[in-house]
Amino acid sequence: MVTLTIDGKEVSVRPNATIFEAAKEAGVHIPVLCYAKKLLPYGACRICLVEVEQMKGRLIPSCTTPVTAGMVVNTISDEIRKVRKTVLEFLLVNHVVECPVCDKAGECDLQDLTYEYEVTTNRFKGAPFAHETDEVNPLIERNMNRCVLCGKCVRVCDEIVGYGSYSFIERGFDTKIATAFDRGLNCEFCGQCVSMCPVGAILPRPFKFKARPWQVKEVDSVCGYCGNGCTVTLGVLKDKVETVRFNDKTGVNDGNLCVRGRFGTSFVNSDARLSSPLVRKDGVLVETDWDEALDVVAKGLRKAQQAKGVGILAGARLTNEEFYLLKNLSGALGTGNLDHSGGQCYKGVTEGLDSVLGLRASTSTFPQVEQSDFILSVKADFYETHPVFGMVVNQAVRRNNAQLVVLGDKKAKFSKLPGARTLLSRPGLETNLLNALCFVLLDEDLARTEGIDNLEAFKAALASSTPEAVAALAGVDAQQIRISARELAAAKNAAILVPYGMPYLAAASELGTAAANLALLAGVVGTEGAGLYVCGEKANSQGAIDMGILPAAGALGAPQMLDALSQGNLSALLIAGEDVLSSYPDRETVEKALKSTGFLVVQDIFLSDTAKCADVVLPAASFAEKDGTFTNAERRIQRVRRAVPSPGAAKTDFEILCALCERLGRPVEQASDAAVFAEIVRSIKGYEGIALDQIGAQGVVWGGENLMPLKKNLVSVEGAQPLSAALSLITGSTLHHSGTLSTHAKGPLSVCPEPFVEISRQDAAELGVAEADLVSVQAEGVKLSLKAKVDIRLPKGVVFIPYHFSQLQLNRLYKGQAAVAVEIVK
Amino acid sequence: MSAAEEQNLEEEEVDLTGAHQVIDKYIDMKGALMPVLQGIQDFYGFVPEACVHLVAERLNVYSSQIYGVLTFYAQFHLKPRGRFIFRICMGTACHVKGAGRICDTITDRLGVGHAETTEDLLFTLEEVACLGACGMAPVVMVNNDTYGSATIQKIDEIIEKYRGQAAEQ
Repeated sequence: MVTLTIDGKEVSVRPNATIFEAAKEAGVHIPVLCYAKKLLPYGACRICLVEVEQMKGRLIPSCTTPVTAGMVVNTISDEIRKVRKTVLEFLLVNHVVECPVCDKAGECDLQDLTYEYEVTTNRFKGAPFAHETDEVNPLIERNMNRCVLCGKCVRVCDEIVGYGSYSFIERGFDTKIATAFDRGLNCEFCGQCVSMCPVGAILPRPFKFKARPWQVKEVDSVCGYCGNGCTVTLGVLKDKVETVRFNDKTGVNDGNLCVRGRFGTSFVNSDARLSSPLVRKDGVLVETDWDEALDVVAKGLRKAQQAKGVGILAGARLTNEEFYLLKNLSGALGTGNLDHSGGQCYKGVTEGLDSVLGLRASTSTFPQVEQSDFILSVKADFYETHPVFGMVVNQAVRRNNAQLVVLGDKKAKFSKLPGARTLLSRPGLETNLLNALCFVLLDEDLARTEGIDNLEAFKAALASSTPEAVAALAGVDAQQIRISARELAAAKNAAILVPYGMPYLAAASELGTAAANLALLAGVVGTEGAGLYVCGEKANSQGAIDMGILPAAGALGAPQMLDALSQGNLSALLIAGEDVLSSYPDRETVEKALKSTGFLVVQDIFLSDTAKCADVVLPAASFAEKDGTFTNAERRIQRVRRAVPSPGAAKTDFEILCALCERLGRPVEQASDAAVFAEIVRSIKGYEGIALDQIGAQGVVWGGENLMPLKKNLVSVEGAQPLSAALSLITGSTLHHSGTLSTHAKGPLSVCPEPFVEISRQDAAELGVAEADLVSVQAEGVKLSLKAKVDIRLPKGVVFIPYHFSQLQLNRLYKGQAAVAVEIVK
Repeated sequence: MSAAEEQNLEEEEVDLTGAHQVIDKYIDMKGALMPVLQGIQDFYGFVPEACVHLVAERLNVYSSQIYGVLTFYAQFHLKPRGRFIFRICMGTACHVKGAGRICDTITDRLGVGHAETTEDLLFTLEEVACLGACGMAPVVMVNNDTYGSATIQKIDEIIEKYRGQAAEQ
């Protein structure tokens, strides 16, 4: 520790701290414009100048100057005030002052400083900036006439996002911040630049003129999209979510958000939301009241229960409390036919993990990844499914020089990070590659085998998974597999990332098993700082596993339920919060099952394709309209808070499930989220001893920061065989969408409005297809028409279609395979 | 981007072989961006946009950063330049001796202003600070040839000389 004096106060701080950081710790305020906690020191604005006794004769920028022992710092004096005022005068020479119509007013650092330093006149004259504003994109408005050239947007886009949209262009007085060739913004639209801008130069366009910062009520909740579990602070005005506010004090995301979290909450206010229960009468869904709807549901389910039984399917975006009630409901209906998210998916991965480690969750927490020295990302889509966790990986690689290895069927954003190595394999062979990595660890005696069961049998089963054999099969370089395995073995804090979701159903449990084997052999599990991260795609994928939204022993899982429905062996189906018709693989089978269902009840916030088939549709509440908890992909339990009332008569799934339980003769004793959470704590393994009140700003990670394996049991798994086809179709996530929900949100839709098929440059050239050409992708008599996108991510012979858009009906082609042989016709 | 600009981009088909060769030469060098851009400018006479995107892809540098570098240094040009670069000295001595009128005349004869290039890609006009030959003011340079004590009449002769040279080839 270094001890110094700031404004007469003695302060002890860590050796590498800057004067600014030391002052902050001592509770001394120094004004800044270009400083941000999460960015590297820059020293552009000169507002933070202070006096240092030992460095007399000039003022010292406190945000870039490291502390030294015995330093005596003055943060305010007449001289400092004068100089800061002059700096502000300089900034105000060109700054176009339009505070009355600037959305930043009220929380603008420049406005606040101008006020604090009483800059009423300006001794300097000059022409105000006259740059054109960027009006091209629908999400981020850039008005460079308000820019103070602090460079925060340039730095956040580079350091954290790793996209690099912005740069300083020109020189001297003409310097400005712009994109390449000074065009309109065309990027990921995560809006990190918006959150960093200290003035009104970069603003979120959807929130423009919606609410003054002091008018909104801020409600901290958890983003309802992916398993990252970012805190979103909703700005509420007159019972409407108008803005998403910057907040780096709460949650795990350090104020970082992606396009979905920042611009994707508008689905909450959508006119298409269901606001009244619907009951099918004479073949048509008609509006009714809750009493009638619930009576019909209760009667229908009772009847079905006495006939061939009821099945329950859920999406992975309900709260833990709602999942818990769903289990109650299944009890009331006397059925164990309970499942979620297609019944394979993330659940499969956790089953694989369970067989090896006795765990069904990530072993460590996200912040630990920043200190990792080796990161293996299994599947190329990690940044797409969990963008904000992806930013942590960016920082580990860019700032801390972690070696990153991406193992997937296409190149990813991660592939561009400095020094990243991509093992680009034929689709569906991740398990084979993980096996090969295990092989190298054992073959070269790099594995940590002490206390591990089943080693010999595992070795024997692995004999054919030599890097050379797998490399030949997968089309990668064997040497690269060997090098990666050696690096993994040598790493002190390695992280293995496995993102998983609906579009990757094939061999999920095999992949989970293979990843767990590797983690075990590499000593990644059970070591502080290292970890195996299995990341479910949806906001509460982990919660669904923890709460046990799984088929009871001997009961039917999701695919079996659909089969049983088709064959008339199941009488009714209740679906809560999932558009199974759009997101489950093999639409034909799902369609047949839903059509044959005697009684179908759907709880949802939109009239989805699935809801359109229902006998009763119950309008549910979005994440912004309910209280409860989500458990994110690192086991962090965080509180979801009600910010606005639901539209019309819509109720939360919690309320709906309570009402149903009551009507079915098993009322919930204390129907409050707190009471149900207490019930969860009593009965769910891992959640013991957690009090709802204790879940504060950073949430509570169940099981602690590092989860120890309950067993160490290697389980051998077979790899897959590659599909032999001229063109293999793979599906997955795009960055701008999450599940099908985001296709109801204006923000993500404005950036990625329609489905597309991504084709490699080589294939595009051979097929004579150019960007944005309309092509048809066909196989087995199914034909999908969509626009082409020519990219360098894909290897030749592989095409990619994201799975989010229900109107495309991609699941007519995609039936859960790792890849589908297709033809593309222009 | 306006429709016209997009049209322009499509027309601007650039053969990237030269750029690839330049990048190949420096690809393993640390801090390769400057020599690569200089090499590309040597090859094409300017830095075409398509090359910026190629450099971004191959050197793994953001296009925006490359654009920042290109606009920071006066040595780089983003538009095609003429075969003959007229540099008119606007320094103090030349200014006093009528550089303004010399410049106006050239603008009048060629139809281009400062930092502009004639449509036939023959001439580019540049007003520069001081060429360091004040004794010969007003001074004009064309590529590496220097012309001192310039007059309006001389300017016409100089322009004709280079037009002649271009016609010969």
